[in-house]
Amino acid sequence: MNKPPGEEPQDELTVTPPKTWAAGVPAVVHALEYSLQQTSPLKTGVDLLTMNQVGGIDCPGCAWADPSPGHRHRNEYCENGAKHINDEATTRRITADFFREHSVSELSRQSDMWLNQQGRLTEPMVKRPESDHYEPISWNDAFGLLSAELTSLDTPDEAVFYTSGRAGNEAAFVLQLFARALGTNNLPDCSNMCHESSGFALHETLGTGKGTVSLHDLHHADLIFLVGQNPGTNHPRQLSALEQAKLNGARVIAVNTLPEAGLLRFKNPQKARGVIGRGVQIADRFLHIRAGGDLALFQALNRLLLEAEDTRPGQVLHHDFIGSSTSGFEEFSAHARALSWDDMLTATGLTRKEIEKVHDDVLRSERVVVCWAMGVTQHKHGVPTIREIVNFLMLRGNLGRAGTGACPVRGHSNVQGDRSMGIWEQMPDIFLDALQREFGFDPPRAHGLDSVNSIRAMREGRIKFFLALAGNFVRAAPDSEVTEAAMRNCRLTAHISTKLNRSHTVCGRTALILPTLGRTERDIQAGGEQFVTVENSMSEVHTSHGRLRPASKLLLSEVAILCRLARRTLDGRADIPWEQFEADYGTIRDRISRIVPGLHDFNRRVARPGGIQLPNPVNEGVFPTATGKAMFTRNAWEMPHLPEGHLLLQTLRSHDQWNTIPYTPNDRYRGIHGSRRVVLVNPADLRELGLAEGQHVDLVGVWTDDAERRAQDFEVVPYPTSRGCAAAYYPETQVLVPLDSVADISNQPTSKGIVVRLEPAPARPSTPPG
Amino acid sequence: MNTVNETIEIAVPVRTAYDQWTQFKSFPRFMTVVKRVEQVKPNVTTWVIGVGPVCREFEAEIVEQEPDTRVAWRSLERRPSHRGEVSFRPTAEGSTSVSLRLEVEPRGVAGALTVVPGLTRRVVRAELGHFKEYIEGLGEAGGSWRGTIRHGHVRPAEAEPPRSQVPCWPVG
Repeated sequence: MNKPPGEEPQDELTVTPPKTWAAGVPAVVHALEYSLQQTSPLKTGVDLLTMNQVGGIDCPGCAWADPSPGHRHRNEYCENGAKHINDEATTRRITADFFREHSVSELSRQSDMWLNQQGRLTEPMVKRPESDHYEPISWNDAFGLLSAELTSLDTPDEAVFYTSGRAGNEAAFVLQLFARALGTNNLPDCSNMCHESSGFALHETLGTGKGTVSLHDLHHADLIFLVGQNPGTNHPRQLSALEQAKLNGARVIAVNTLPEAGLLRFKNPQKARGVIGRGVQIADRFLHIRAGGDLALFQALNRLLLEAEDTRPGQVLHHDFIGSSTSGFEEFSAHARALSWDDMLTATGLTRKEIEKVHDDVLRSERVVVCWAMGVTQHKHGVPTIREIVNFLMLRGNLGRAGTGACPVRGHSNVQGDRSMGIWEQMPDIFLDALQREFGFDPPRAHGLDSVNSIRAMREGRIKFFLALAGNFVRAAPDSEVTEAAMRNCRLTAHISTKLNRSHTVCGRTALILPTLGRTERDIQAGGEQFVTVENSMSEVHTSHGRLRPASKLLLSEVAILCRLARRTLDGRADIPWEQFEADYGTIRDRISRIVPGLHDFNRRVARPGGIQLPNPVNEGVFPTATGKAMFTRNAWEMPHLPEGHLLLQTLRSHDQWNTIPYTPNDRYRGIHGSRRVVLVNPADLRELGLAEGQHVDLVGVWTDDAERRAQDFEVVPYPTSRGCAAAYYPETQVLVPLDSVADISNQPTSKGIVVRLEPAPARPSTPPG
Repeated sequence: MNTVNETIEIAVPVRTAYDQWTQFKSFPRFMTVVKRVEQVKPNVTTWVIGVGPVCREFEAEIVEQEPDTRVAWRSLERRPSHRGEVSFRPTAEGSTSVSLRLEVEPRGVAGALTVVPGLTRRVVRAELGHFKEYIEGLGEAGGSWRGTIRHGHVRPAEAEPPRSQVPCWPVG
């Protein structure tokens, strides 16, 4: 194991050609290399061999579903999952000495990577208003401080409780229960920033916010669309499902602004063909679309399908499904037929011939699945785009049948489960009524604040108290300077965390670090050893048992922290057995089983191998929408106006990164090594802009307000991005995403559609590390 | 293509026979070659079947289902290796005539059954006999699913079947 870095690494950028395949032997080597840097061979072995196994640790890395019990590999994880789990299992420790040596101001100048590499947090710390240092505080005093602050608020709505998708179901349920018993629905979560558009679009059109697809469907699809997603880096285990589908004869169409390695070819390191062979080609067709052009693409496909039906009546559309299970077809059809081909081709940047070839693929396919991720959701018209995908699926009855459906590919491991547990600022009455019946208090009914609105309220001084259950809110949120000012405007900020991140260094006047157990660690309470449950992207709810010795004896579990805080703050105000909840998480699940529909008999059913498969109403032939049927919609878009000399920027993650945390400054699939401060631009755009490879530029955001949003000193890298579209790493470029630039309806930040210009960078004394 | 048609008369009302047939997970209780069945969705099941030393797993899609009338399915490979249909017809005596038609391609999972001449027919006949013995002995079905499936799409028998009652609010 290496020591944590003392100084920021100062590597030079080197650029190599982008890879044309993902995984293979290098993935194994890189995973083990990073793991062994962080922790011991024994811990690495325990982690990896129990990861995603029945009775083992659920990988916190992503929300991709596990194969059925009996069908899992001995090594059921990916390179990034292995890195992530051993990043948590690191043997590096942060103690009180570290905070004595480093002031908060000093830490706020360090990079995300440096902060993460310092190791696990081991004891509660407080930064008091007059101090620039964190200092130790006992748990008892920490809860006293927090509850005193909460009880001194003029109204509970001056508090915000943020949840990251790492939190298990039990902690999420307890948090929302505490917030509502306190009297607020201010429950923003990381979903607000990643798949909120999916939830709103699916809920409106199909009556459920969740995807309809299981691994079985992917394996048996004839045609799979991968739209605005990068499975090789962000959900690598999806590649195994795609490999299986390809071997079963499926075709894959990738739609992206970048030809990502994982979209092109997959070498499965668990198969001989992936180790010594060429692996499996993933995309049969790659559509090099303009950022934000996906809505126009699906509109074009839908128009072609309608016209094909005109030519061959009764042979193209699924009239039985449309007639019996949908509403709004005629209005949709009239709208789709009136769309302009010129507009659709301009928006997509594709040729009509390219789209017609896809149309031919669709006509040849009986079963179609559409997968998408943040390349779709993080646009102003993210919700209409997903509604149009639903239109596309419905036209040929590709919903509810085997091998078909809508597949939003979610990132955080329990982001879907946290929402099932009631982490949402707009929970419906059916849920709040159940809480009322179960616990005998009146939950607030007025909607609370989501992430963007929380930042606005914090900026305006309407929020005094911010508590985060996991995550790195300051870096995940848009408009970094605005968000940071908003956080600093709070009276108290507190983070339940495993590792140090920037959100601990950009904090309120008083700040608390509440160190917690990781998913990998044994959780022993008064009632014995505990496990938590999580829900993956395909609605499977299952257990996760920590296996490792905790990083410190002083760590409390997320559930324990929240229960103790709630008990102290509410002081018997509601009939909620916080002590019992902390001692035995099974008692929390008993309550969940009476409140969350579909999780009846939770404890018994979740203990079965594979856990609980929550049904999807769509697959039961039920559409709980406003019309009682699946709804066709008419969707409009307006592409961002790009003044001459400007580009449309999307933020993205590198391969060596988990959410806001880079592990190294490398992105080997894209051929970027040694630096993350790069901007990827199409060579033809570079020529037009008069910029040269290797030139240093500032990225300057363009928005309707007068604020200057500038990301300084990025090196220009020619890259096969779509014309007019650039890409740069998240979270460094979050500073460019205006807080008010949000998706219609879902209020999700538009991190994939930011208008920027590239200005030659002036000489500066030093490069900012962040 | 190997096609098998078998019919058997069962001394229970058609509804009883049909309802029992919809309880796929119970099949290993009375069928010899069926080792395990999982119902993934109303229209998708996974089967483990074994004959002698040969054991295979496959998934099947129910494409048509009409209560008290018929269930039609196909295996879920891109080119199905088998498809089948079981139909239920009330007889004048109050019994049920159950007819099973199975079309097996000499490849894939079901192809294993075609290796031995006549084996498919013998297996189908024997298993229908087991079904008859079981439901006649019990006299009542162990459960029921009264929905309809048309062209692979499920149409529930009731407006809000229990399985549709899950968290439906938006998920981000």
